[in-house]
Amino acid sequence: MSDVVWGCVHRDVVDLLADRPVDVPAVVDHLTKLQDLLDRRSSSEDTCPLAVFNRLYLTITERVLEGLYEGFFSDVVFLSRLDVEFAARYFDALRLWTDSSSRCPKAWSCLFQRMQGPDVRPLPSAAAGINAHINYDLPFALVSTFDSLESEPVDGSEQHNDYLKINDIFAAAIPSLRRGYLDHWQLVIDVLNGDVDDWYQGELVEYVRDVAWRNAKKIWRCRNDRAAHEQERLRLDNHAELLGRLLLSPLGAYLQ
Amino acid sequence: MINDVDGAPLVGRAESLEAIRSTLASTGQGQPTAVFLTGESGVGKSRLLREVGSELRDAGALLLTGACLDIGDASPLHPLRQALRRLDTELTTGPPNASSALRGLLGVFADQASGPDGAGALLEQVSHGLHLIAGGRQLVLILDDLQWADRSTRQLLLYLLAGLGDLHLSVLAAVRAESLQGAHPLRRMLTELRRLRTVRVLDLAPLDRAATEQLAAAVAGEALPTAAAEQLWQRSGGNPFVVEELARDLRDGRVGLSDTLREIFLTRVEALPPDAHAVVYAVAVGVEPVAHWLLAKVVRLPEDELIDAVREAVAHRLLVSADEGYRLRHRLVAEVLEAELLPVERAALHQRYAQALTGAHAELHQARLAYHWRLAGEPVRALPAAMAAAEEAERLHGYVEAHRHWSTAVQLAETSAVGATADRMMLLERTAEAAHHCGEHARALALLEEVTADAAQPACGLSIRRARYLAAAGRSALAEAEYQRALAAADCTPRQRATITAHLAELLLHLGRYADAGARAREALELADAVAGSTSEVVLASAALGFSEAFREDPEAGLAVVRRALDTAERSGRPEDVACAYLHLAELLTGPLNTLEEGVVVARRGAERVAELGLGRTYETRLLAIAINGLFRVGQWAEAEKVAAAALRHRPSGADAVEVLLARCRLSVGYGDIEAADRDLDAVATLCAGGGARHVIPLLTLRAGLAMWQGRHDLARKAVQRGLTESRSDDLVILAALIWHGLRAEAEAHASRSISVDETAVRRLREAADRVAHRAGTAARPVRSVVEAFLALCAAEVSRINGNDPELWARSVAEWDRRNHPYPATYSRLRQAEALLARRSRSTKAGKLLRQAYQSALGLGAVPLTAEIKTVAGRARVALAERGAAAGSPTTSTPAAGGELAALTAREREVLAAVAEGLTNKEIGQRLFISERTIGVHVSHIFDKLQVRTRVQASAILLRSQPPDAH
Repeated sequence: MSDVVWGCVHRDVVDLLADRPVDVPAVVDHLTKLQDLLDRRSSSEDTCPLAVFNRLYLTITERVLEGLYEGFFSDVVFLSRLDVEFAARYFDALRLWTDSSSRCPKAWSCLFQRMQGPDVRPLPSAAAGINAHINYDLPFALVSTFDSLESEPVDGSEQHNDYLKINDIFAAAIPSLRRGYLDHWQLVIDVLNGDVDDWYQGELVEYVRDVAWRNAKKIWRCRNDRAAHEQERLRLDNHAELLGRLLLSPLGAYLQ
Repeated sequence: MINDVDGAPLVGRAESLEAIRSTLASTGQGQPTAVFLTGESGVGKSRLLREVGSELRDAGALLLTGACLDIGDASPLHPLRQALRRLDTELTTGPPNASSALRGLLGVFADQASGPDGAGALLEQVSHGLHLIAGGRQLVLILDDLQWADRSTRQLLLYLLAGLGDLHLSVLAAVRAESLQGAHPLRRMLTELRRLRTVRVLDLAPLDRAATEQLAAAVAGEALPTAAAEQLWQRSGGNPFVVEELARDLRDGRVGLSDTLREIFLTRVEALPPDAHAVVYAVAVGVEPVAHWLLAKVVRLPEDELIDAVREAVAHRLLVSADEGYRLRHRLVAEVLEAELLPVERAALHQRYAQALTGAHAELHQARLAYHWRLAGEPVRALPAAMAAAEEAERLHGYVEAHRHWSTAVQLAETSAVGATADRMMLLERTAEAAHHCGEHARALALLEEVTADAAQPACGLSIRRARYLAAAGRSALAEAEYQRALAAADCTPRQRATITAHLAELLLHLGRYADAGARAREALELADAVAGSTSEVVLASAALGFSEAFREDPEAGLAVVRRALDTAERSGRPEDVACAYLHLAELLTGPLNTLEEGVVVARRGAERVAELGLGRTYETRLLAIAINGLFRVGQWAEAEKVAAAALRHRPSGADAVEVLLARCRLSVGYGDIEAADRDLDAVATLCAGGGARHVIPLLTLRAGLAMWQGRHDLARKAVQRGLTESRSDDLVILAALIWHGLRAEAEAHASRSISVDETAVRRLREAADRVAHRAGTAARPVRSVVEAFLALCAAEVSRINGNDPELWARSVAEWDRRNHPYPATYSRLRQAEALLARRSRSTKAGKLLRQAYQSALGLGAVPLTAEIKTVAGRARVALAERGAAAGSPTTSTPAAGGELAALTAREREVLAAVAEGLTNKEIGQRLFISERTIGVHVSHIFDKLQVRTRVQASAILLRSQPPDAH
């Protein structure tokens, strides 16, 4: 039954996901291989929303890797760990979806479900992927990273600055998203978050990434308290799912 | 029996069982093995643990079985203590020495007193205790619900898995998959461990359709009709626990309308008589296992009625009874039932538990009391219990757990009921201190902020603490400002002034402001002179002064200051002061001053001295690590190996253990002992899975070096690439060594044509080298000097890819000879000779270089390097055996004995002497404190150097060359 999840490339995807990348070069390698498989799976490259998201994510990760090699960041250790932890969550979601597990985060499964659908609009779908990855995965990746480095999230620290530098990479990588949809996105996000004050520059990624940083600080405080941590996780999952569903709804078409 | 927990057969798990068995059986060289089972609740993890456990027990293994608790970080090492107590009750009939070892270990937990290296010492005592209990048998540690493990338990696990405990150990643990989402610390730990050869992480999936039907048929006693089977498959989703319960309902004719576990169990609870009903809910609220006496006090039934009620609950498959008490059939059941209680009912039950526990002592006494009183809504009574639990945790160095208990106490104190009775300041301060100890620096600072807000406290003391926390959090600039503020405080005593100034000097040194550091240090020394009993300050300030002078190119003056500090410490200081002074002196000599021989002597003398003072574990290990690295660099590898063995006999833990293991691994890579190097690298990776990013780069550099000797240039390239993307830009020396390994891998790939050269990688490495060179321009002279030597190697490797310029290699030889590091110098000589030979010119010079390199490599015992020299010499028809050419070499450590044994290292001569006595490799290993395998390596080196094939021939040469009076 689960053999059809990835169609003709199912076996290859399963094999790819069995391996877990532990450094940034390996993450890039992994995303590249996954891209090949996703492109092979669908005939025309624009019809698979996941392929569109994956390409975007691959581009961004490649630029992060370049930045690491070129000394673009001050705390390389932090940024590498973060990149690996971050990617691990995307691969986890794919793995859980492959296993048809009920534990697949809702933020992701609402996108995965759409992969076969007839009314798929790839760009909002890719945006839904970004939403799941940043709104749901990123705060946890940050917490795990700080935990493993025996450090902690502090505003204005070297790590925080490096983290913010990624915004530039995002901005450079998704000009189409920026130009085309941001005015509309702003509306959507205002409705969902309510915190209009936080909306300072009209840049989606920067905005949600800042939310992610603040959420990470929130989770950090309760990371040793299982009940509170689980509550926070569910809250983020629900929130990201809601936003994801909205992006994938007919309203999403309006964005395109 | 009424307890048919394992009544149903194990279905659909043959593959998993096989995988567990084969992983646990792969315990090749006595390395610990581990299997982690992950999967959702009810998927059968605990069942598999029991199954494998009893198999191993039947095969003669000693089992220790514990489960982690979900009441928060209950108490450090709780699951292990529980396992030991269980074994204790089992062992009453067993061998008496195991039993007394067990009591001894349990006693350790009861009496452990805080010491300077408490946490590490506790790990050592625990592993030693386990060693005694196991008595040579295989020890199997089975841990259920590992997702709830406290940090101390996780650290112990890593320590044991790294093989530091000297145990024949297997670990078998179950982890709930749902908890691995989010930011659970086990998540990362398992990702790291997954990569080791001795660890397996198995994900247990739900059963498939066929296995589901097989299980259902086994429980029901007959195959289910198609419709029922279909329905059961739909409802259970293949979860064996649910399948079993549903099938049982079907068999017993209960109408199965229930679609969820919640419904299944609630129906069953409703069918219970009132007393049994009460028992089940009481257990659901308690901390499992709930002892019989405790249950009796909570449900308040006469003994006979209570027993009937329990019987009833067990018969309905809700409760399970074991020696130590009752628990619900499954955690899932507890979760269902707990959610059903009204808040008032729950509070009332907690109240009864708390009251019952107040009168009688139980396991995890204070933590449980605090838990129950808090949930009973009685903060006044919960507060003292929380404080006691915190202090208990601190005693066992479980600062994370302590921090949680203190935080609870602060919260409790904030409720209006407690109000004025609690000393809020004291609670905040202790919480802050615990937070600081477990690395929660921001939290510690925030708590301190609260203290300051409403404090009539002396301002200076608080400022010092804040500065200490800031410095620990790596926020040096803020820490400096805070120390300044402390100095300016009106209530600053002369003693405090000396302390602050000494710490400031140290901080400035780390910030690279050597002149300021020196000035502050002098000031601190003056201040400390005026205050009696401030030896610690003298030592700290002297070290800061010594290093800053050395960095500012007046090494002699710096050295004199640190030597004087050692004298002062010996005269009037605490043992720690003496140890610190030795440490600083040895670091100064082997670090910036590069007077390695003297540094090694000081480190070893210091190690002996601190052992006398009773600080063996921490300071002695650290001093010995300095000695090993120094000996490695000056080329006395056999001696370094001996010291490493001695250092590891202390069973160091944490960063100390990592240092020694890395140092030993460096030796193994040099010797070409691949197995030993791999084992040490795995051990380091295991220890680093608990945190410790700063050791990653040396680890990756060694991996790359090892991969190159194996001809795996692709693996070496990968390791270096990872290192480049993860190395801190301010660790210039470590980074330079890594870059050299990367360029060397590309150059060797080019030379051997194993893989094609990656031009992008070369470009990146060259850019990285340029950045290092640029930054080294502003670094202290001693740092610059080492970096330049590595950069010389880098430049030469680059030329090896295009053209190979012998002049660049000659420069590298000169750099390393100047620093008196024979290993890289020898390597550079080989390459210089190779480059000369490739130009078909000056082959006399090349021959001389090769002979020199050969002698030096033989002297070191560097097998792979020697082999390469031989290959090159063979190709060029250069005879290496000509002695005399080596006499001019500045790099060989001239062996004492002459004649045919001249080529042997001191260690090899020791081994040869033992061979001549007729000892086996194993016996020699025991005598010399090194592994049997290493002896094997030595013996093959000896054969190689003496050009013999048997032990008898080797012994004959030894006897022949001994002076006559030795007979």
